[in-house]
Amino acid sequence: MEEHIAIKLNKAIHQKARLGIMSILMASKEANFNFLKDRLKLTDGNLSSHLSLLEKEKYIKIKKKFVKKKPKTLCQMTEKGHQAFEEYLENLEKIIRSTP
Amino acid sequence: MNEVKKQEALENIELIKKLVLQTKMHIGHHGGGWISIIWGVFCFVGVAGQRLFIPQGALIGIWWIVLAVIAGIATYLTVKKYMKSQPARIQQNYIRYFLQFWIPILLLGYTLATFIALLPSLSNHYISPVILLVVSTGYLMIGFMFYKGILYMGIIGYIASIISTVYFLEYSDIILGVLFGTGLIITGLAINKKWKNI
Repeated sequence: MEEHIAIKLNKAIHQKARLGIMSILMASKEANFNFLKDRLKLTDGNLSSHLSLLEKEKYIKIKKKFVKKKPKTLCQMTEKGHQAFEEYLENLEKIIRSTP
Repeated sequence: MNEVKKQEALENIELIKKLVLQTKMHIGHHGGGWISIIWGVFCFVGVAGQRLFIPQGALIGIWWIVLAVIAGIATYLTVKKYMKSQPARIQQNYIRYFLQFWIPILLLGYTLATFIALLPSLSNHYISPVILLVVSTGYLMIGFMFYKGILYMGIIGYIASIISTVYFLEYSDIILGVLFGTGLIITGLAINKKWKNI
């Protein structure tokens, strides 16, 4: 019989697009909007809503500035985001280890 | 309560690994393949022009400088294009790396060429072998410390410059230009192919 392990995974990170955003920010420390959009193949609106949710959780910081009159959105992972992501990874490992 | 099966956890781990790897590789991507191709063509056109169209003397130096400026501008435009999507931190690092690595190599090449050209007792034929020997020494040093691929390039450069100087001095500029140019173009094509597959 398959054994199910009840481990609470962080819902804010567990969604695939947000998991992608957090993974990229984990690797690059910071990334601009277009970079995330290209790598994750998301629409502007979709990416914006996921970024807003992560910002609301204080997992990322969003900075907006103008470079040569063009708006640039830069995203950075916060310390809280870093911890939450590491905890999420640990939980995934626990699930894998404890399931036969 | 979230009940998550092992399969889903494995899939997520896989996704994270893939994205982290792709991001790290993308961060290092600054159009290196195209830069290599640009400087490979620079070697070919430089040697061909020197042999076919340019009379001997100071004009050769001007010819190479004009070519280097054109290749430099093409390199700058390539880097600019690839840096657009990179974070500001990476852009600054790359500009620093570019200034610290490539500018001294170019300056070294031109200084050596000028010195040899100014020495009346030394034939201009030695310009190409000496520059390649110095560049190969640099490759050997970097290769021993960091990358095997660069080490092999250094060894090939060393052997080629010695053989061409000892046995084919009259044609050493053509041999080394073609060898160096071909090596750079092949390297560039290989780098571009690798990036396409990521």
